[in-house]
Amino acid sequence: MNALLSLSNDLAGAVERVRGAVVAVNARPRLPSTGVHWRPGIIVTADHTVRSDEDITIIGVDGRTVAASLVGRDPGTDLAVLRVHDTDLPVAELGDPASLKVGHIVLALGHGPRASWGVVSALGGRWRTWRGGEIDQLMRLDLTLYPGFSGGPLVDVQGRVVGINTSGLSRQLELAIPVSTVARVADELIDTGHVSRGFLGVGLQPARLPEAFRRRLAVASEIGLIVVNVQPDGPAAKAGLQLGDVLVTLDGAPVAATEDVQAVVGARRVGSTVTATILRAGAPAEMSITVGERPPRRR
Amino acid sequence: MPGDGETHDIRPGIDSDLAAITGRLRRITVQVHGSRAGAGSGVIWISSGLIVTNAHVARGRAGVVLPGGRALEARMLAWDPEHDLAALAIDADGLSAADVGDSDSLRVGDLVVAVGNPLGLTGAVTAGVIHAIGPRRSAGPSLIQADLRLAPGNSGGPLADARGRVIGINAMIAGRLALAVPSNEVARFLGRVRRGAAAVP
Repeated sequence: MNALLSLSNDLAGAVERVRGAVVAVNARPRLPSTGVHWRPGIIVTADHTVRSDEDITIIGVDGRTVAASLVGRDPGTDLAVLRVHDTDLPVAELGDPASLKVGHIVLALGHGPRASWGVVSALGGRWRTWRGGEIDQLMRLDLTLYPGFSGGPLVDVQGRVVGINTSGLSRQLELAIPVSTVARVADELIDTGHVSRGFLGVGLQPARLPEAFRRRLAVASEIGLIVVNVQPDGPAAKAGLQLGDVLVTLDGAPVAATEDVQAVVGARRVGSTVTATILRAGAPAEMSITVGERPPRRR
Repeated sequence: MPGDGETHDIRPGIDSDLAAITGRLRRITVQVHGSRAGAGSGVIWISSGLIVTNAHVARGRAGVVLPGGRALEARMLAWDPEHDLAALAIDADGLSAADVGDSDSLRVGDLVVAVGNPLGLTGAVTAGVIHAIGPRRSAGPSLIQADLRLAPGNSGGPLADARGRVIGINAMIAGRLALAVPSNEVARFLGRVRRGAAAVP
């Protein structure tokens, strides 16, 4: 019975090693979420579980409730950073995501601690969330993220944190945000309070493209995006985009949904240029738009 | 050598350990047929024919089917709906009985294995880990919480640790969690049975 028993001991040992760095985060009504003590005084959690900007508290494994302040949030990657003073809780030990392989046994931890186990179901490349954030690696898990587990650590059998779990980036899939992305976003939030993301300043709605136009331009997609709102003095307005223009491609890629625009623009550095093909008054036109910075979200 | 009837495990690993534990648990897991439709599970606690199951499984008259397929009438020794436990006696001896563990020594993350008769299957195994230790608001004070898949029919069956020792009696499904009556609670219950302090319906 040695192999199974040693796996059991490894799993329980992993929980024991990391549990001190796992906290409950009280930032929404009723159901606390989970956070990870990332660096001394810095707690990382899932942005969608931080519903209030104020009156946030965390509860450590010692049962003590400590006030926390919101350092910043990045809805794009579903990460939020909190600061706590006066804590002697241990800091999580981070693992090397490169060592993680499909099929590896992992644990997801919630505050308490509570645990679920499973395997790394799939690993992929860089991907963009539906909220426009860029994540270094797709980490899909075959395990249960119980209520309140979002923001908690994904832990390998050695007890090292390899990701932050969230149910906020997909309705169907259990996903983790790899530690490299967490480190990048947390650093930016600590330094500047927000994560800058490309922005055009337009409201768009899907619209069917005229058949003749599609033939003339050999556009594959049947749908473009009609401009229904232009933010005054925004990046698109400065470039000359007008109400009623139909956006057909951005940097050569057809855009048929607002997510397609976010995928191109969200990834671009503020100040860089994107080339847009538009349909204006029945005629195609090209224009260059200098990407601006998305203003912080108002709540 | 392959083919000579002996199986040599060249890699004594997790899978063979799990198979061995499952085999042992199957020999101590019985089907319990209560007055309601559908079979539940039960654990042979003592080799002379003491079966432990859930109170909600063995309501009224109960019949027991041993792992080998032998069907026996069971006599209800005690019935404790508060702890969801029942003790049955069958007229049998020399049975394989549970190796009982200490449920107070469980840690979050410990591997656990359940065997039972979910949805008509006999001796099905599922594996998981201990989810949390301590009271759970929505499920009573003292149940083991495991991140483990159970189905109706698992009720009354064993939850065992990585050594194959029975540490609980599977009792409930709460969302995706398995809830089990701790083996130490079973020991207290059987203590009351021995002292004649447990109710007989």
